[in-house]
Amino acid sequence: MLKSKIIWFIPAIIFFLLPLSCAEQRSDPILKIGLHEEPKTLNIWLASDANSKRILSLIYQPLYLRAPDTLDLIPWLAADQPEFHPDTISYTVRLKQAKWSDGSEVTSADVAFTANLIKEFKIPRHYSQWKFIKKIETPDNHTVIFYLSRPEAIFRDRTLTTTIVQEKEWSQIAENAKKQKKPLRFLLNYKIDNPVGCGPFVLTEWQKGAYVHLKQSPYFFGKNRRIDRRLIGPYIDDILFKIYGTSDVAVLALKKGSIDMFWWGLQPGYLKNLQQHKGIKVLFNKKSALYFMGFNVRKKPFEDVNLRRAIAVLINKDFIISRILQGYGTRMDSIVPPGNKYWFCPDVDLYGKGLDRKERIKKAYHILRNAGYTWVVPPVDNNGHVVSGEGIRTPDERLMEPFEILTPPADYDPLRAMSGLMIQEWLRAIGMPAFSKPMAFGALLEQVKGRHEFDAFVLGYGRLSLDPDYLRNFFLSSNDKPRGWNMSGYKNRYFDQLANQSASEMNREIRKDLIWKMQKIIMADVPYIPLYDPKLIEAVRNDTFRGWVNMLDGIGNIWSFCQVKPVSR
Amino acid sequence: MKEPDRKNIFTPGSIFSDRLLENWSIFKENLLGKIGLTLLIIFAFMAVASFFTPLIDPMYNPMTGVDPNISYSTGPSFHHWLGTDFIGRDILSQLLAGARIAFMVGISAAFMSIVLGTFIGMVAGYAGKSTDALLMRLADMIMVMPTLLVVLILSSLFGQLNIWIIVLLIALFRWPGVSRVIRSQTLSLKQRPFIEAAKVAGASPLRIIFRHILPNVLPLSLLYMTFRVTSAIIIEAALSFLGFGDPGTVSWGMMLQWVWKTGNMFQAPYWLIPPGICISLLTLAFYMLGRAMEEVIDPRLRKEVEGE
Amino acid sequence: MGIRKFIFKRLIEILVIFFIILTVLFVLLRLSPGDPVSRIVDPTMTPEDAQRLIEQLGLNQPIWIQYGYYLKNFFLGNLGISFHYGQPVTSIIWSRLFNTIILFTTAVILSALAGVFLGKIASWHKGERTDTWLTLSALVCHTLFLPWVALIFIWVFAYKIGGFPLTGMISAEIWADPSSGFWLKLLDVAHHMILPLLTLFLIHFGSYLLIMRSSMLDTLREDYILTARAKGLTEKIIRNRHAAPNAALPVITSVGLSLAFSISGGALTETVFSWPGIGRELVFSVSNNDYPLAQACFLLIAIVVLLSNLVVDVLYMYLDPRIRY
Repeated sequence: MLKSKIIWFIPAIIFFLLPLSCAEQRSDPILKIGLHEEPKTLNIWLASDANSKRILSLIYQPLYLRAPDTLDLIPWLAADQPEFHPDTISYTVRLKQAKWSDGSEVTSADVAFTANLIKEFKIPRHYSQWKFIKKIETPDNHTVIFYLSRPEAIFRDRTLTTTIVQEKEWSQIAENAKKQKKPLRFLLNYKIDNPVGCGPFVLTEWQKGAYVHLKQSPYFFGKNRRIDRRLIGPYIDDILFKIYGTSDVAVLALKKGSIDMFWWGLQPGYLKNLQQHKGIKVLFNKKSALYFMGFNVRKKPFEDVNLRRAIAVLINKDFIISRILQGYGTRMDSIVPPGNKYWFCPDVDLYGKGLDRKERIKKAYHILRNAGYTWVVPPVDNNGHVVSGEGIRTPDERLMEPFEILTPPADYDPLRAMSGLMIQEWLRAIGMPAFSKPMAFGALLEQVKGRHEFDAFVLGYGRLSLDPDYLRNFFLSSNDKPRGWNMSGYKNRYFDQLANQSASEMNREIRKDLIWKMQKIIMADVPYIPLYDPKLIEAVRNDTFRGWVNMLDGIGNIWSFCQVKPVSR
Repeated sequence: MKEPDRKNIFTPGSIFSDRLLENWSIFKENLLGKIGLTLLIIFAFMAVASFFTPLIDPMYNPMTGVDPNISYSTGPSFHHWLGTDFIGRDILSQLLAGARIAFMVGISAAFMSIVLGTFIGMVAGYAGKSTDALLMRLADMIMVMPTLLVVLILSSLFGQLNIWIIVLLIALFRWPGVSRVIRSQTLSLKQRPFIEAAKVAGASPLRIIFRHILPNVLPLSLLYMTFRVTSAIIIEAALSFLGFGDPGTVSWGMMLQWVWKTGNMFQAPYWLIPPGICISLLTLAFYMLGRAMEEVIDPRLRKEVEGE
Repeated sequence: MGIRKFIFKRLIEILVIFFIILTVLFVLLRLSPGDPVSRIVDPTMTPEDAQRLIEQLGLNQPIWIQYGYYLKNFFLGNLGISFHYGQPVTSIIWSRLFNTIILFTTAVILSALAGVFLGKIASWHKGERTDTWLTLSALVCHTLFLPWVALIFIWVFAYKIGGFPLTGMISAEIWADPSSGFWLKLLDVAHHMILPLLTLFLIHFGSYLLIMRSSMLDTLREDYILTARAKGLTEKIIRNRHAAPNAALPVITSVGLSLAFSISGGALTETVFSWPGIGRELVFSVSNNDYPLAQACFLLIAIVVLLSNLVVDVLYMYLDPRIRY
């Protein structure tokens, strides 16, 4: 009988295949890295997702980088610090001797080409950092002079850290794109099979859905050079990025030794188990992130600053951090993360810091009562005891309408979803009709950022730049438009004035003063209540490779990849 | 075309309750039916119990209650018989609440789809001609669409969906199977003398449908309902598991999603195993009940139901 | 009605249904609140940037114009460009489709064979202990919650016991090594396929078993079986030569009719096992608001289901001459 034979055949195959997985031994040291999801593209202009950026960061290089410990600007592709000429508002940058991965030289023409490409196509995410460049001169092959149309504070920190592409690779694509009806779309969707960069690694193969294979570039300019007191490698020949759909499986792979590092922030849930596991090291790093509760200050009830202040008092940030983040995070009292020491202003209104539940309710009650709010059942009774409040009325004597706190869903970010729930409970204790509502991420942003139809939300920025220019972006009156970053609709003319001044202030000390003032204003008006800055938890194997470089935003930085070496060596 | 058994033709005002008693005695003898019913009763107890847990202590509230002393997932203990989840919520109370949601979703979705399916089936069968053709083409069209994927697309498009909208969507996409069977049943009933008699007596089509046809197709509809409960529960669970459910409800699929996404899956078997077993057992219970009922109502209908 | 005329009529019907689905889907996707641009949470993305992207993607045009373009391109075989990957949808779909087909056909064939085989045994021992246990285990397997089974399999077989890959379709070590030959690579894929296959198998064989069993019981009551018995043929020959082939017909129908159901199950299996197939891509593109890709995946699934229904009908007519529509 054929059928019965087939049935016996299956276990036979299974048995036969079993040894295969045991054959996964590594002979030469390939660095294996787990990725959470498939990179979207190798076209650097389209790459807006974390995983594509990660792979491309090993291929395409910028002029300047941040030092891991001091976070200062370090010349990378550039030979030395940029020279500023205040009279012409221009910067001179000199380049190192470097080669592209096809062997040709990196010249100032490539830099000028990159800048012009971004400007000409108005490439999203890059254009805003380049549009104020008036003119670029290349007096020789290794010198570039940027002329700015006006002083811009972000030039040094943001513009000069953009990656440079090769003119040879892109000029033909750009020419073809210009002939299209939709040039930008053509450029963004152009399929790049083999990106030419000047970084430590080049692409060998991308097997869709499974892995990306990089090998050491023979032409990397940094090899054996000392940059920022570090002897730059790389000391590994191959990197294999393996794509796992879920973090669970990647963590298991790490435990089994199928990968040496998982390039993804872990949920605190994994910690206990990983820390006990032999051969695995867990690393903690600060993030430059902002997780916050935002209000719609365009309409009732949150147009009232007193209500926002009362809510800021009621929210127990320390509880969120100890309970929901399980201690792996820092409380935020200003929009700028405390880790960003230079720009962070510690001298802002701290609201309910250090108070217990009853004290919070009493303090919030006083703020609201003085502002004219009344209750059916006040949260603090005549004897001064805290009871559960009911039926809060706004100063116009009307019962407060139920409002929603929108959060991302639990699978996208359990921390924000849970924070929303906690906040809901705290607000209800004082009688506010708060409803936490988890929402699909795209729809949430559309509602908050696109249509401005919301009451309050909990959102976050996972990677804020070190330069605090975002502070201006988030609260400038003119950014209150559909898809604009002023999601709250905050308007303050004095703030606008300070903000615009800060953007063009080239003196760091004066700019710091302005940024501090801006933080104080925002924390007094609280259109956003900053909640927490989570710690980045990453895990690597310590029995295979060593030398990971800790840095703000984790060990997945170019320094690490130029320093990591096999344990045996 | 299959002829329904003669004994199962009910005329209006017939000995309905006697039939029911007789059927019950057949049902009682059925092993599958007994297992299914026992399981169902256990789950019903769980669902009822879920109303009482938050009253014992607020920390047993499945969604918002957290144990003040626990802030990560812990194994079974005296206060938490099945352990706690990643922020210290009690898993047992979530499991109980999940039973409630599963019953709610399963029964209401199944009920709606049966009402819709039966009505459309009767109308199509009785009216015939173009109405019939139109309705049946519509049924064909909906039938070929994988319900889970359709609801998935819809729930992701419109933000996340409220649990009741999910129920409604499941119902809207699960009626065609029912209406096909009801239609063929109606077609054969239409030829029977008592319908002719009613027509001659001047009864309106609606009256004929509800007074004369409905009582005869009702047992079949009820049978289908048990199978629809199964599929509704599975669809809701799968949807929640993939992260497209209603994040404001604690369902078993949602519990599985939490354990999967928060990285506790491999360390917390006490959290991973119970919801899966519950989903499987509850669907099994309804399925067994359905098969038992089917043998009572008409042993020859079996084939059409399987594979759903 | 002749078979040819029947097929023609059904094809027209399928075409109409397909275009209705296409249109409804298009409208739904375009009316949805999110758009691919709004998902980018990056302060460097200015509103002007976002607007420019929207224009470049053609999303600022009125919906009927977008629909017109879509139809036109559709007939030219161009399903658009994925918002997420920036690549033509067709090329993405083709690579994913292949993976899905391997997994699916293998799973369906294996589980149908096992279902037919075991169903036959169960029917032959009707009422005995073998039958009770087979039926009961088929019922249990059929109602198991698929993603949960998949997770448990990964946990038990790939983690606790070991010996199986955790997820994915190929292992990077083997494929990235230029010295690996074709057979090793093939073996590697087969090795990765075992657990997803086992999951799908477990869920599906139950229903085939139940169908086979009841169909076999019906068949055994037919006249020609009685004739065969009267002729004095052995029970084994009657069972295998006469009854089984006819009884297997409903299994074939069920394979076709339950395809929609199995595809949903496939999406779950693919997601849990990170199998790079159509179902996983659909789930992924839906959560990314990647309209062109989501639409294409769904349409592909719809057309596969529609056509396979037709094939089943035709096959049925061909195999069982009593049936005429």
